[in-house]
Amino acid sequence: MSPTSTASKKREKKLADVDGELCGICQACATVCPVNAIEVTEGYILVLPEKCTGCGTCVKVCPVGAITLIDR
Amino acid sequence: MKHVIVVGAGPAGSSTAVGALRAGADVTIIDRKTNVGIPVQCGEAIGKTGPGVAEIDIPEESIRAPLRGFRLFSPGQISVDYATKEPSGFTIDRRIFDKELFARATEAGADSLLGARVLDITQENGTVTGVVVRHDGKRKTLKAEVVIGADGVNSQIARLTGLRKSYKPDDIDSCFGYEMANCDLEVTDLMEFLLGSEISPRGYIWIFPKGEGRANVGIGIGGGVETKTAKEYLDHFLKHHDVAKRQLSNAKVIETRVGALPVCGPNKTNVVDGALLVGDAAGQVHPITGGGMGYAMVCGSIAGRVAAKCAQNESVKTSDLQQYEKEWRKLYGAEFDQSLKLRELILQTEDKTLDKLANIVTGESIVQMTAGKKVKIFMRAMATKDGKLIALMRELRKLRMV
Repeated sequence: MSPTSTASKKREKKLADVDGELCGICQACATVCPVNAIEVTEGYILVLPEKCTGCGTCVKVCPVGAITLIDR
Repeated sequence: MKHVIVVGAGPAGSSTAVGALRAGADVTIIDRKTNVGIPVQCGEAIGKTGPGVAEIDIPEESIRAPLRGFRLFSPGQISVDYATKEPSGFTIDRRIFDKELFARATEAGADSLLGARVLDITQENGTVTGVVVRHDGKRKTLKAEVVIGADGVNSQIARLTGLRKSYKPDDIDSCFGYEMANCDLEVTDLMEFLLGSEISPRGYIWIFPKGEGRANVGIGIGGGVETKTAKEYLDHFLKHHDVAKRQLSNAKVIETRVGALPVCGPNKTNVVDGALLVGDAAGQVHPITGGGMGYAMVCGSIAGRVAAKCAQNESVKTSDLQQYEKEWRKLYGAEFDQSLKLRELILQTEDKTLDKLANIVTGESIVQMTAGKKVKIFMRAMATKDGKLIALMRELRKLRMV
């Protein structure tokens, strides 16, 4: 197995999780999500588990640290 | 009558709607939110002599404090002031500002649909012909000759039309801010900006006076910065930095704010058959200052007019709507291009060199440079005999900026 596929396997076991108490709904996470897995509705941010690859790009940009990667 | 749908009821959308109405189209403004202007995601400063003087009509009831310019602190706290005799801008209350512009658009004849989330666009033969929304729990299709995405940095219309998929983290700034009361500001009519890789990597901290001892204090850092969050950087600044200790040690937080803004310059193109983008959705944000409202409003009125004209001519191909791209880029294209290059240079420059630069520039030259114009600082830089500052000047000369 190539290193990249090992890495992607690892990632697929993770899922972005938004802490609703910290989140201010700025949508930074959604703007950088490469697979469009983050939906913004009035009042909250929704991570679509079927699309999220656990890549962690959203974690980087969150201004308040409201997103963590959790195990699926 | 021909119909234009504007997605997004912020300053970009409301200005677009007015532009389209004046040019004779029927307009519907839709927004995902049910309260326009809330939450505030902005530093709330706008220049009245900024992009396109005459076209920006700032609602008087939204004005909080007049501004005459800025005080910029280099990383080593060398300050450079710029102040005009008369007020050249204002801090505003975005809740009132956005709502008032929206109200005016509806009073000019626009229909409104709030709480409508865009799910999809409809297309015929590759031309956008409308949007599919979720409203009141139901799926609805709204048809129009032209669909305009004024739906912000996280634009659904940009994604659905393929004009922009997603941003790279470094292409956006991650922002956090407080509105504070009980501030002891040293200047009440200048915006303060603080640079430095230690306090705000790839961005800056701002203190904008709002009158009556109140201020917006915020930070934008590069989206790719992983050392700390924007909030952590701002809290650290408030606790430890001299400039904060002098002015904000008695200040109380009365609101918190978060936001994201594109700082990588406008999209390559903002037009497809039957649809176009405006404002943050189009990336019409100054890559250095992060300012966007003025550009959004001027570009919006152009977008609305062009969309309405094309709709009436029953020809809404990319080549027709291109008139919008042509007109707005004529106004701001060079400024955005040039300041994007300048931004890259500044990001590569060490803090110590920025201090030396602060020693030789005037406020006026900073204004000129951020507008993408040439300034006369080359000889003064040479006289310092500082290798790194001179190297920076050579790079600036390549851009024809010094």
